[in-house]
Amino acid sequence: MTTVDRIRAMLVKDYKLDANQLTADARLEDLGIDSLGMAELVFNIEDAFGLNVPDVAVTLTTFGEVVAFIDDLIVARDRAATPAVPPAMQALSPGHAP
Amino acid sequence: MRRVAVTGIGVVSPLGHSPQDVFEAARLGRSGIRRLDIPSVHRLATPIAATVQFDGAEHFEPPQQRMLDRVSQFAVVAARRAIADAQCELTDTERARTGVFLGTGMGGTLSMDDGYQTLYGQQSDRIKPMLILQGMHNAPAAWIAIEHQLSGPTLTYSTACSSSSVAIGEAWLRVACGALDVAIAGGAEAPLSLGSLKAWEAMHTLASVDVVDPAASCKPFSKNRSGMVLGEGAALVVLEPWDRAQARGAPIYGEIIGYGLTTDAGHITRPSGEGQAAAIRSALTSAGLSVQEVDSINAHGTGTHANDSVETAAIRLVFGERADHIPISATKAVHGHLLGAAGALECVLSLLALRHNVALPTMHLNEPDPQCDLDYVANVARPGAAGQTLMSHSFAFGGTNAVLALRAAGS
Repeated sequence: MTTVDRIRAMLVKDYKLDANQLTADARLEDLGIDSLGMAELVFNIEDAFGLNVPDVAVTLTTFGEVVAFIDDLIVARDRAATPAVPPAMQALSPGHAP
Repeated sequence: MRRVAVTGIGVVSPLGHSPQDVFEAARLGRSGIRRLDIPSVHRLATPIAATVQFDGAEHFEPPQQRMLDRVSQFAVVAARRAIADAQCELTDTERARTGVFLGTGMGGTLSMDDGYQTLYGQQSDRIKPMLILQGMHNAPAAWIAIEHQLSGPTLTYSTACSSSSVAIGEAWLRVACGALDVAIAGGAEAPLSLGSLKAWEAMHTLASVDVVDPAASCKPFSKNRSGMVLGEGAALVVLEPWDRAQARGAPIYGEIIGYGLTTDAGHITRPSGEGQAAAIRSALTSAGLSVQEVDSINAHGTGTHANDSVETAAIRLVFGERADHIPISATKAVHGHLLGAAGALECVLSLLALRHNVALPTMHLNEPDPQCDLDYVANVARPGAAGQTLMSHSFAFGGTNAVLALRAAGS
């Protein structure tokens, strides 16, 4: 399931929203998600995606912005989890033994 | 001062969910005290309480329910019932002159317990974002005001076991003096968290379980009483000027005619007979009643050793020989001690007792105590004995004593 589908499913289940309302440009305010609702959504996204979402997320204004923001966090996390072999390790590889 | 009528009642209680049901249960002595069904029940020495059959999902959409502790859910549902019962359509102008007065002793303690479980039990920092809103004491009153668009004062009183009698008394004062046209007043409590139950246990104030009949564990004024039993629920009333209620043809349950409020200023828990007597006298003065004019009493009657003997002495102190002729009901025997909602539920039961002119029984009173030598209407309701005028007592840890004087509607 893609990020947009997962977040959409959360909003349908927890906020009783109609999936058809959840277009990229739908404003959270118009969906009835205020700053408090957003704080709760962020909490649930952290649980569901295993992410640590920074506080700035609560200032997002549309559904599309939320999805993009979370996608960026997922990409950043995955990149951090599979790092290139760092230079220090290269220095210790057998071909460069002192 | 204007006369003030009670025109609506809403209850969410261990005895039922309508005025008729709670009155019938109290009249027949059907106890709402039962074995607790919570996950950590094995850790409790006294695994009983007066619990409410209640599923919040039947009353709230999930986004709102997640913001409401059980105490707020009780309060909001009780307010809906009270307002519907009063058949009270409010104009915009009247909404601005309507207030909410709510008592609660422990607020959103279930939610706070849940948060602490996360923090200390699981050693996690992931506290849910709604915890402050669930836990704050003024949440129940605020939600009632929001739902019904009531923009007069929204006040929360937390004076332990007298909270909701104080709330009703303070609401009465404002309606009586003309500051408000309508008030929604009462109390709500949902104290049955493990943390709260263990804390009450630690104080050694809870009753030991009656091995024959757990539902009979609370025995006010009986020599074999061993303490109180915690209860949960909410009770709210609609107050409005008598003339307004009559003009709109509203059903009138009864009248609040006086309110006494004093403080022991002595010990934090040990009750003072002088302090209680002062509150009763203050209510009599407020209502313009002589001791001869009081027909019946709803006692604080918790079932603790200290309260019941001291309350008996206080009643003697005020009423003298007349005390022997006043039927006294202690309904906590069947609905438990709802702490911040106790006074309101007892006010409701008292109004219904007056309406039906039935003195409600003090159940489980099977061993007379020489220190409790008044007429407690032991075990069987007494038709024709509630009379026209009733005093409802609420005495609290902290020493805040509140007494409401009530009168039957027909008198």
